[in-house]
Amino acid sequence: MNNKNTQNEQLERFMRKANLHKPSPELKERITAEAKKTWNQTSPELSWQIPVRRLIVSAAAAVFVIWLTNCSSDYAVARWRSGGPPVAHKQPLDLDALPELSFSPIARHFVSSSRKPSITEASTLRSYAERMLLILDEAQQNGASKPPTPPEGRSYLLPTQSGHDSYS
Amino acid sequence: MNRSWDNILDKILPDNMLQAALARNDPAAVELIWDRYAGDLLAYLQAVLCSRHDAEDVLQTVFVRIIRKRHRLAKARRLDAYVYRIARNEAFRLISRRKKGRTIETVNESWLIVPEGSNKSNDMAEQLQAALANLPQPQREVIVMKIYRQKTFLEISRLLGLSQNTVASRYRYGTEKLRIFLENLTL
Repeated sequence: MNNKNTQNEQLERFMRKANLHKPSPELKERITAEAKKTWNQTSPELSWQIPVRRLIVSAAAAVFVIWLTNCSSDYAVARWRSGGPPVAHKQPLDLDALPELSFSPIARHFVSSSRKPSITEASTLRSYAERMLLILDEAQQNGASKPPTPPEGRSYLLPTQSGHDSYS
Repeated sequence: MNRSWDNILDKILPDNMLQAALARNDPAAVELIWDRYAGDLLAYLQAVLCSRHDAEDVLQTVFVRIIRKRHRLAKARRLDAYVYRIARNEAFRLISRRKKGRTIETVNESWLIVPEGSNKSNDMAEQLQAALANLPQPQREVIVMKIYRQKTFLEISRLLGLSQNTVASRYRYGTEKLRIFLENLTL
């Protein structure tokens, strides 16, 4: 260890025999003149200007990225459209096959009419009205065949008339 | 108090005065910066670039950059580390430009001087220069700052933003390599 320290000291002593160039007066004159010129040309940067400048640069970068994305998107869509309009395959509507239509005919009709395109022709409108009337008649008949609702406080299970099979 | 801390305190006080001059936007700060940093920076740049003329050119760029960033320097927590960082960045910018072939390679020139002036001393300077140039740049800059600018490991570590252990190990590895390079010379 001591040997190594001695060697290091010897090396340092040897190296210190040489020296580096020091800045010359001409160099000082040249550089300070240039620095003073720069000092006069540039205004001191105010502390609040730094974050504002960063914000402006960030906003400009964001706008540029959005513009670039829009351009690339427009280009891609235009290329896609140039091949012709997309053709959607429309399956025929089979209302009877729809599982959710296990309701009364009137409900089924409303559902199917809402899924169909709007009626514009007079003949179609007339036939639609006739069908509606027919369905309403059917519904009325079905309603008439049903037993009347029992009066309040009474049950269908209890006989309504006093007879041989009554408990009274 | 430890000697190295004394050195650091001695150098912090002028930095405070310098920062005050920069904050006042006083052009006299240019002279203060020169007196405070020119010698150290030129030595550091010569160590990094192994060229006196390149070091002088880069020193001018560093000063211009310091003046442009004077407002930031006035508020810097460690002015000396900031200044060294600027010098380091500028030196590496020149090196990268050179690697890309944008500038002409400089001719070999002496950046070490031996005061005696005899033929023997010139040979010694050349060999020392060649030995230093063969070292990796991180080791060379530590050795030059330690030997030729009498900086302590603590000061070097603070200036270069490294740990003291890193600086010490770079110095140790560097000196070992130098010893091998210089074994033909009489130590």
